[in-house]
Amino acid sequence: MLTDYRSTIYHCLKCGACKQAFDIYMPICPSGMKYGFDSHYAIGRISLARAIIDGEINLDTALMHRVYTCTHCGACDEQCHDAVGVDPLRVIQELKYEAVDKGLIPPEVRDYLKNMNVYGNPYMLPAEDRGKWSLNLDIKSFAHQEYLFYVGDMGSYDALGQQIARSVAKALVAAGISFGILGDKEMTDGNEINLVGEKGLYEYLATANINLFKELGIKKIITLSPHAYNAFKNDYPAWGGDFEVQHYSQVLAQAISNKKLKVKGIKKVKVTFHDPCFLGRHNKEYDAPRQILKAIPGVELVEMERSRNNALCCGGGGGNFFTDMLGSGTKSPSRIRVHEAIDTGAKIIATTCPKCFNMLDDAIKAENAEDQITIKDLSQFLL
Amino acid sequence: MKKDKDQIKQLLVSIVGQENISGEVPDLIPYIRDSYSTMMGRNIPLPDFVVMPETVDEVQKIVLLANDYLIPIYPRSIGVNIAGSALPYKEGGIILDLKRMNKILEINEDTMTATIQPGVTWGQLRKEANKKKLDIIPIGGPYQTSPVGNHLLTNITPYSSKYHCDRAMTLKVILPNGKILRTGSWASEHGGDANPYFRYAYGPDITGMFRGSLGNFGIIVEMVERLRPVAPVEKEIAFGFKELGPCLKALQAIERLEFTRTCQVYNNILAAHLCLAPHRIKEPGEREKLLAKLPPYQLGIGLGGTEEMVALFEKITAEEAGKRGGYSVPVELELESVAKGASRAIMHMYAPLSGFAAIIGCLPITHVAEINDIVKEAVKKYDVRDPLTGEPQEHELIVIPYDRSSTVYVEQEILYDPAADRATLEPVMQCLRECYAKIVVQYGASHTIPNKTLMKMLVPSYGELLVNFKKMVDPNGIMLPGGPYSLE
Repeated sequence: MLTDYRSTIYHCLKCGACKQAFDIYMPICPSGMKYGFDSHYAIGRISLARAIIDGEINLDTALMHRVYTCTHCGACDEQCHDAVGVDPLRVIQELKYEAVDKGLIPPEVRDYLKNMNVYGNPYMLPAEDRGKWSLNLDIKSFAHQEYLFYVGDMGSYDALGQQIARSVAKALVAAGISFGILGDKEMTDGNEINLVGEKGLYEYLATANINLFKELGIKKIITLSPHAYNAFKNDYPAWGGDFEVQHYSQVLAQAISNKKLKVKGIKKVKVTFHDPCFLGRHNKEYDAPRQILKAIPGVELVEMERSRNNALCCGGGGGNFFTDMLGSGTKSPSRIRVHEAIDTGAKIIATTCPKCFNMLDDAIKAENAEDQITIKDLSQFLL
Repeated sequence: MKKDKDQIKQLLVSIVGQENISGEVPDLIPYIRDSYSTMMGRNIPLPDFVVMPETVDEVQKIVLLANDYLIPIYPRSIGVNIAGSALPYKEGGIILDLKRMNKILEINEDTMTATIQPGVTWGQLRKEANKKKLDIIPIGGPYQTSPVGNHLLTNITPYSSKYHCDRAMTLKVILPNGKILRTGSWASEHGGDANPYFRYAYGPDITGMFRGSLGNFGIIVEMVERLRPVAPVEKEIAFGFKELGPCLKALQAIERLEFTRTCQVYNNILAAHLCLAPHRIKEPGEREKLLAKLPPYQLGIGLGGTEEMVALFEKITAEEAGKRGGYSVPVELELESVAKGASRAIMHMYAPLSGFAAIIGCLPITHVAEINDIVKEAVKKYDVRDPLTGEPQEHELIVIPYDRSSTVYVEQEILYDPAADRATLEPVMQCLRECYAKIVVQYGASHTIPNKTLMKMLVPSYGELLVNFKKMVDPNGIMLPGGPYSLE
């Protein structure tokens, strides 16, 4: 209930720390940067929440664009937490929960949830297709290997996501990691379903996943996506899902450090790393991907000004990758991000999230910057 | 002339474009609240529009339009607003959100100045200035506030004793009547653009007229801000004192030697609050642990110069403090960052619960201990409780020398829980009123902003002059009508 957050909401000082990152002093909120009005920053969303609990306005469809353009990137919390301690993301999430409960969600979100309900994935494709990404790879179904490699919806169905799933799987094989996959038994992790506010469906899916994992004797999970990593690591324990969860970059960084994975050199090139919000800010893993890049002979790692905890979101979080509530245009965070990457002198953007990969890949094309920069998943450096 | 809302909207769209104007309630609501309206329990009416211009020309056109149709205008810079000065007190106005005017137009190494727009933040300016071995002159505000907004609010938290608070050199202003005014040497029609750096040109200090005006006299669209050179060595040092009196004496003695860059006195409550991030302070015992470590009063000094100069200054400062019972204490990281300006830790001052009632006054240093006692007694009398523990509250105190004289800026904060009901807040309000009445009437402590009630009561002749000036530049009364700071 939004009213449970009354104290938090009233404690917003209206200081605007959620607009600009400390230390680098640059804008940090993707929706605020795009739309400009305070209503599209955390400061404004908190104001709207307060007007609702004070009975001045109702939570209605007019508010939905302000609520659902939030990408749940956590940049506002990152600034506010140590300054004022309001942590606005919890309130924004609650606004989404109530929007779902009251049937107020925008058509884009409704369609996404409908597809998740009917097909179990946002691509409206059959479950049997889930394992197709692994065709012609010598990858076994999970049968008491040490790890489950969980690829999720994008790794299963999205063309670029499948490529990334394949390259990660190859790297895991090269590192001698014992793992299996679920193939057509795999279900969505539900992270985005939760973030658009459908917590009932999220709980249902989480419970189903936990039961399946337990039935199969799964104890350790490697995820392709930081979003699944976030769900399994932070939310599933509340429903009894106590698995040892790692993102693939953490496993590969460890394998390189233990000399189990040999890294081939590449032609000298400047690479910049885009921190996915759900690996970085939400789970504080900034070093593993950089350790991998630094271990690759020929790679010169250059940082964007907005990096690590102050990284600018690509705009694909919080369900926006599927709902596109944030919309396109030159002020889209992914397009701003591409320019920021180019400004470092890098020729490649490396990342570790299939959503970020897709968003930035599209942005490079939209900016006609293909001759200036390209994007690679971290695993693709290792092949 | 009257036009309906839709027609006005179309006119505004023609100035700033469709995507930079909104009249939708969810876009307007965030502009009608701040800490002040919460504390006063005041309902602020909705404006008709929020408009985000990007250029000086757009601002001017909007102001002219507002004059044509008598629409109130409420400008705000980057949106940090905790004192009620940018709230739309009259229904149906225009919020002029200037955050898109966020460019640093020049950093001039020779004049050590920056020409900036109103949406530029202190942090942004500091970052760019540092690239040229320059820095902002330390302020008491956080990094996300705006130098332009700060000038309008008086620049009254000058953590720098060396550079005083008059950091704005010249201004480009859209007056409420729509005319453009440039101040200081910038005002010259012939060559002003070649030299916008000198404040005290052509008679009275018009730049100063805008300081503390809270926007009554116009919209600052560009400002030349003074910077300072980064010294080869810059160091913060601190001394603990058991009593406030000797601490203030030490401050006075050290300031008279005229080498400090920054100088401030904190009581231990404020020092502890500044040091503890909001989540840490809520952990039981954390604040008490720190309070046990901190001296009751702390004198913080910022030094700068060559290595030899700083070593000498440090030695002299330690001697002066020592003579008055001061002892060297480690400088907490957060306090260091606050003294340097544009910090995040300054926000902790309003933590743990973001509700604060400030008792502010400028007066001779000799009266500080007495007004500190006045607040202490009032807090006790009205049984103001600590919002975290429910125990009797001890107030925050900061003292900063003002303009290198024995006049100091004193701020005392009483914290409250803004989520509490009005009845719980009432003792805080009573305490606040009593403290103000005493320190203003007994000690002549002056406030720094044009609060309408105080002006009428305390300085009617001064108020009359300002009101007349306001009428001259704002004949239609469109700029900031209503509200406690309006000079109508």
